[in-house]
Amino acid sequence: MNPVIQSKNSRPDVNEQAELRSRKRARFRFRWNEYGMGYLFMLPWIIGFLVFMAIPICWSLYLTFNKVRFTGEGFKYEWIGLQNFKDALLKDNEYGVQIIAFFQQTILILPIIIIFSLLVAILLNQNFPGRFIYRAIFFLPVIFSTGQVLTELFQQGAGDVPFISQYGIDTFVEENFSSSLAEPIISLLSMIIIILWSSGVQILIFIAGFQTVSRTIYEAVRIDGASPWESFWKITLPSIVPFIALNLLYSTVDLFTSPINPVMEQIRKHMFNVSTGYGYASALAWFYFLLIIVIIALMLWFLNSSNRKRRYTA
Amino acid sequence: MGAIIYQFKKMSWSEIVLLISLMLMAAFLFLPILFIFNHAFKPFSELFNYPPTFIVRQPTFQNFNDLIMKTSAGAVPFTRYVFNSLIVVVCTVFAVIFTSLLAAYVLSKHKFYFKSLVMGVIMLSLMYAPETVGIPRYLIISWLDINNTYFGHILPFVASPVAVFLMKQFIDQIPNDLIEAAKIDGATELRIFVKLVLPLAFPAVATIAIITIQAVWGDTQASTLFMQDETMKTLPYYISTLASAGTGGNTIAGQGIAAAAGLLMFLPNLIIFLLFQKRMMETMVHSGVK
Repeated sequence: MNPVIQSKNSRPDVNEQAELRSRKRARFRFRWNEYGMGYLFMLPWIIGFLVFMAIPICWSLYLTFNKVRFTGEGFKYEWIGLQNFKDALLKDNEYGVQIIAFFQQTILILPIIIIFSLLVAILLNQNFPGRFIYRAIFFLPVIFSTGQVLTELFQQGAGDVPFISQYGIDTFVEENFSSSLAEPIISLLSMIIIILWSSGVQILIFIAGFQTVSRTIYEAVRIDGASPWESFWKITLPSIVPFIALNLLYSTVDLFTSPINPVMEQIRKHMFNVSTGYGYASALAWFYFLLIIVIIALMLWFLNSSNRKRRYTA
Repeated sequence: MGAIIYQFKKMSWSEIVLLISLMLMAAFLFLPILFIFNHAFKPFSELFNYPPTFIVRQPTFQNFNDLIMKTSAGAVPFTRYVFNSLIVVVCTVFAVIFTSLLAAYVLSKHKFYFKSLVMGVIMLSLMYAPETVGIPRYLIISWLDINNTYFGHILPFVASPVAVFLMKQFIDQIPNDLIEAAKIDGATELRIFVKLVLPLAFPAVATIAIITIQAVWGDTQASTLFMQDETMKTLPYYISTLASAGTGGNTIAGQGIAAAAGLLMFLPNLIIFLLFQKRMMETMVHSGVK
């Protein structure tokens, strides 16, 4: 190799070097402009979130390992390790039972919500006069299906359906099913309005889903002689599978965090109970929270793997 | 009017069946709302009927009269609770919209470190119920020394994960080219935000306003835990004391008053929903599809 050329290459021109450096600096400045703007805009939210969500949540995690007492000078903590969790799972004779009962109920409620909202979405997707009024009515419950209003309603008995006992539906169920099945069915019937109330968002998601299927496919199929029934099963349903999955996830999260959920009530009850204390209540809350995350992770994993399978076979 | 009748005449029998079945379902979902309205006007004799009746037989204003009588006898006037509630709701809504718009805009359109971490944290905290962290929040609020101030009501709500999540999904729809074009034309970040993002994200802003209003309007946690001064408590807290024994309330006689007050609590939610429902449904549809 020619040594002259090599030396020229290894020692670039002074001008070139300066340009390179300034370009690097410019890129650095640009990036910090961009990134700094991001951090600046995030700042108010981050501070609020850290102070009122992140720190309290971590604090409550710390408290799960403590026994918390109210005393004259304030709170007293006493480190007791995993004792709270042990008590919750082994000693407490309400918590475990309620979690299992709640799971049974959830498994029954989920298909009801999905089928009901799919049905209503199909109906609302047709073209008929006054469609917007109906959409509004079905969406209305979303406004107060969270929080205080719902709890208040529930206490006042608006969630009960009076005709269940009036027309003897409950005795009919009791006579025709075994006692272990009859009880969840009756409790389900008694809160059917509340269940149907929580399907507003799911209906909207399905309506949005229908819009992703193009009209031309339906036309092509109709020309080929398929009935509306067939085109629903062969075209609409397969193409909205992702939306069914989304709705399943949404409904699960919604049910688990709803204020009328018995486990949440249990947690709230223990919060200000002097004998068990706040540490115990947070242990209940954390165990429940972890359970939800595991279930949702399982669901996501399952949906992902089934999606991949579909893509391979297609 | 003529056009509507013409449309009805044109309908086939299957469409009529569809319309009727939808009407039935809508009526079924409407029952609880009917119940709230009727419950407030029931005389004492009808309130405790079993099984509960939906339609009031002898409507009376007795419950509302009782409510006014009861509140005028209290140490703190009723209007003070209403005033507190209004101030808290208005301030919180503006604060939430401001912070979540800023955060959602950069989360959607900017690059920076830890962005995916922030998104993950938001998703996780959607699943955690905020009621369970009452006591740590109380400790922080007394450490910040904002007990018995309006800040104690407002600040815990400001960093809302739901608001940022919905807003981010909505802003994702705004095409990047539009923002690039504005940048090339020499618009500053602030100008892009105010002139471009804010108007385009308006449906999402309306949605977040509704969600926040209904959460704050119905909240009793702040009044119960962070406010010791009676004059700083809000309307929902006052209403919840009416029907519960202990703090001067009466469980049986209070029922009628509580029903009337419940209707008063519920009306703002309904009115706001009717005003904004179209925009709200737009946002929900868009953020669900992503």
